[in-house]
Amino acid sequence: MTDTLLQNLINGALTGCIYALIALGLSLIFGVMNVVNFAHGDFVMLSMYLTFWIGLWAGVDAVFTPLLTFPALFLIGLLAYYALINRTLRQRYVTQIAVTVGLMTFLRALTQLIWKAQPRALPYSLIQGNIQIGPYTILASRLVSAAASVLAILGVYFFLSRTWAGRAIRAASDDLDAASLVGVPYRQTYALAFGLGSALTAIAGGLLMTFQQVDPTMGVRFGLLSWCVLAMAGLGSIPGLLISGIIVGAAEAVGMSLWDPRARSLIVYLLFILVLWLRPRGLFGRK
Amino acid sequence: MLNELLRVEQLASGYHRVPVLNDVSFHVREGEMVAVIGPNGAGKTTLLKTISGLLQPTSGRIFFNGQEISGQPPHTISRLGIAHVPEGGRLFPNMSVMENLLMGAYGNREVLKTGILDELFELFPRLKERRHQLARTLSGGERQMLAIARGMASRPRLLMLDEPSLGLAPVLVDTIYDRLRVLRERGLTILLVEQSVHHALSLADRGYVLENGRIVLEGACAELSRNSHIRQHYLGL
Repeated sequence: MTDTLLQNLINGALTGCIYALIALGLSLIFGVMNVVNFAHGDFVMLSMYLTFWIGLWAGVDAVFTPLLTFPALFLIGLLAYYALINRTLRQRYVTQIAVTVGLMTFLRALTQLIWKAQPRALPYSLIQGNIQIGPYTILASRLVSAAASVLAILGVYFFLSRTWAGRAIRAASDDLDAASLVGVPYRQTYALAFGLGSALTAIAGGLLMTFQQVDPTMGVRFGLLSWCVLAMAGLGSIPGLLISGIIVGAAEAVGMSLWDPRARSLIVYLLFILVLWLRPRGLFGRK
Repeated sequence: MLNELLRVEQLASGYHRVPVLNDVSFHVREGEMVAVIGPNGAGKTTLLKTISGLLQPTSGRIFFNGQEISGQPPHTISRLGIAHVPEGGRLFPNMSVMENLLMGAYGNREVLKTGILDELFELFPRLKERRHQLARTLSGGERQMLAIARGMASRPRLLMLDEPSLGLAPVLVDTIYDRLRVLRERGLTILLVEQSVHHALSLADRGYVLENGRIVLEGACAELSRNSHIRQHYLGL
């Protein structure tokens, strides 16, 4: 009993690092332009399908597909920004929600049309084997995915704190008018944030495909999960996002082992409601 | 006669079809310090926002260094050499003092090689001590100093200040104005919008009085200080 729980907790925490990476993309978009992107999870799903497809037809391993899907998702993000989001920025909130929900539905229908509804998985991953610690087995692919997610999060952290483009994104998210007054072109900065936020789902999608299958309904799940992670962490703390991601992953594990595999989301959302009830700005939020 | 750096012609502007400014014309010559004074709600902030491009004029034209700038976005206007230090400073609260200064030079990064940061730290030594602190941890006076320093970081040709004395204790207002005097003596062109009329008129060369979105009075500051309307309504004498 405790063995299963601990085993699931380890797996959950490792997957949680990937959730944190997905939520980081979401927080770039929400933090800078205040757009609630409901389609974010479907970008993850799309990345997973692209990984599957590239793996199947070109034989590129899921670990390396982000080299191809990262620029692809960056461009898709730019396209979505200029074609849709840019036009809704001065509109009411309801309009923005309608547009991103529409994009979400579109992406889901598109993947259903191309890849049909049945789950797909890659037959092979470069990262094989397990690591045995006492009674616990850690899948090497999960461990590598978690490590790669943390590295990617660190990369974004350095981009935001050390480069001009990154500082411009932070400045625009702190005070848009003040950023414009020092010479930051805000539409380009928004486009960059949206492109980068979307491109991060390419890394997450590739990593997820090393140990998991994909189906078109997964977009909603990842979308909601990443909102959970972001809301629980609060805006503005990258380490907070990572911790919050691990908590969400672990909560899923607790739900699965102590209750029922189908209860994994239930525990997450109970925890989510509890956190927002007791601390509305999130565990690590600054506002 | 010195070259006109900023020229505003029959400017009208406002928010969402609510007119605030009406037929405002004035100019600022190179090397001059000009103050725009007026009561709360007269349109002083709207005037600066329209010049820097945060608001679009509904009619009229704005020229900077002979080139028309009305209708351009703020990031373009700032790159031409106008620094607008907005009301309340509007710092980047979650960035360090140093990062705020670096962002000040965002539109004109070559300037960082000219030792501008050292000059600013010399002008505002407190900022050097606090350069690694987040801007939101600064005191009110330090915030205003950082806001001015951030505006200066791009080596602008025109510095526009919106109520630098707002919300500050009198002793801090004196400190800020002392720094502005130094900038002015170095030949910087300054357009100052201020409710603290006494401070503005004692430092600036010329002044305009803005009431209900119109310029009702203009002249050299020494003259304005003797004007009975100003003495009665603004200086409380």
